[in-house]
Amino acid sequence: MNIWLTQHSQALRLVISRLRASLFGNLFIALTIAVSLALPVIMYLVLTSFSGLVGSIKNDSHMSLFLAADATLTMVDSIHNTLATHSAIKQFKFISKEAALKQLANDSQNEYIIQTLDENPLPDAFFIEPAALETTAIKQLKSDLAQLDGVETVQIDDAWLKRLNYLLALGENALLVLAMLLGFALFAVIGNTIRMQILTQQEEIEVSQLIGATHSFIRRPFLYSGAIYGLAGALLALIMTSCVILLFNLSIASLAAEYQTDFSLRLPDFTTLIVTCFSAILIGLISAYIAVSKSLFNSIN
Amino acid sequence: MIVFDNVTKRYPGSQEALSNASFSIEQGEMVYVTGHSGAGKSTLLKLIAAIERPTNGTVLINNQNVSKLRESALPYIRRKFGLVFQDHKLLYERNCYHNVALPLAINGITGADAGKRIRAALDKVGLLNKEKSMPITLSGGEQQRLAIARAVVSRPSILIADEPTGNLDKNYADDILTLFSAFQQVGVTVIIATHDALGTANEHKVLHLDHGRLMSPQVAG
Repeated sequence: MNIWLTQHSQALRLVISRLRASLFGNLFIALTIAVSLALPVIMYLVLTSFSGLVGSIKNDSHMSLFLAADATLTMVDSIHNTLATHSAIKQFKFISKEAALKQLANDSQNEYIIQTLDENPLPDAFFIEPAALETTAIKQLKSDLAQLDGVETVQIDDAWLKRLNYLLALGENALLVLAMLLGFALFAVIGNTIRMQILTQQEEIEVSQLIGATHSFIRRPFLYSGAIYGLAGALLALIMTSCVILLFNLSIASLAAEYQTDFSLRLPDFTTLIVTCFSAILIGLISAYIAVSKSLFNSIN
Repeated sequence: MIVFDNVTKRYPGSQEALSNASFSIEQGEMVYVTGHSGAGKSTLLKLIAAIERPTNGTVLINNQNVSKLRESALPYIRRKFGLVFQDHKLLYERNCYHNVALPLAINGITGADAGKRIRAALDKVGLLNKEKSMPITLSGGEQQRLAIARAVVSRPSILIADEPTGNLDKNYADDILTLFSAFQQVGVTVIIATHDALGTANEHKVLHLDHGRLMSPQVAG
């Protein structure tokens, strides 16, 4: 255990002194890594912000029940009773065709149009807020209501919501592809950096092997390098991401005010921090391991 | 103790570098490996130091069969040896102190304990005042002595030197050989490869190689 600790602290100190020796160059490598990491993180945060927005909209999704033009008052009454006793309905509101026309007439722009009408074209309507939000429950409710006498159409106000959801799913796929591509870029960047380090230390590696260094002794400092590049890149990426999101939020705030919402993009949270750092360190370790294994053992035999 | 039994080494695409060599070296012996260049001296040393494995035959180091060992066990065998390479193999971007520190670092020895041993080794070869110098600023003889300090710092029981006096003038060469004798006198096995007969004219064992063949072991003098 003691030897194990000594070996690791020895390797770590060696790596840190080497990194400090060419601080400027290493900073640029970390920046390259940070950019490849920041892009998927920003995209992820934007996507999850929008998913959150969609979720909140879903909570007040409505269903509209338009009655046939020739629906009688008794039909309206019986629908009213059915709705009042239906378990899947949270609350509902009835708006008669007269009330709807009056509402329409309130807007002065429509005044002329309404004057030219011979008769009221608007149907009686119920506006329903379902109790459940799952698509299957809502579909069931829709088909239940469509069978009622006097109902012309049942409309769920979620067509646009569906489209937005499809767009978000598309965005998630794009995020996955982007993350994978940039992950490969990260492999290449860290792997190449480590290969360069190996090249400058080829003599030392060879001598060390000749006088009894184990493979893990030689590999260890490079693994630390890879992990440190990954971690430094991840931390820089999170700083970059936060700056970009804060900048976006400045312009989003005024846009959101127009829509009377307080929507803003999410900043990286603790989970994002952990996941980003962990995956960057992992990629750093793996690419360093591959680079060392490739470049190492042909020096003897 | 080192035992070679009918050892043959053949490199791919070339003749046998060493053919059917059999000999043994006892603990504390001083052995010269002689022969013209290309006779297989370096190959013999590499086989002893477990840097190469034999194509045929058995190499025993302290009763361990090198050819039967797993690849991952070889580094631990190599640590029993102190190696002085033909081309020094010093690390030119590190100062003398850190060059000598390398074998200790490999053995997991760092800190104050390592510092003491590094200075003791540098002192033994007369380079204590040069510990902060870079190897490139040293003379040929000093570089050779630095290589020896690196070889002995981890207190190996066997010291192997490949042409340690190769490019040195007579005075320096004698210094180096005196140094090796001093190690032998404290019980270290010393194996030296040399292409000339320098210093072999005494009681030490000589392994003479000719085109990869070992001439019968002889005790000179």
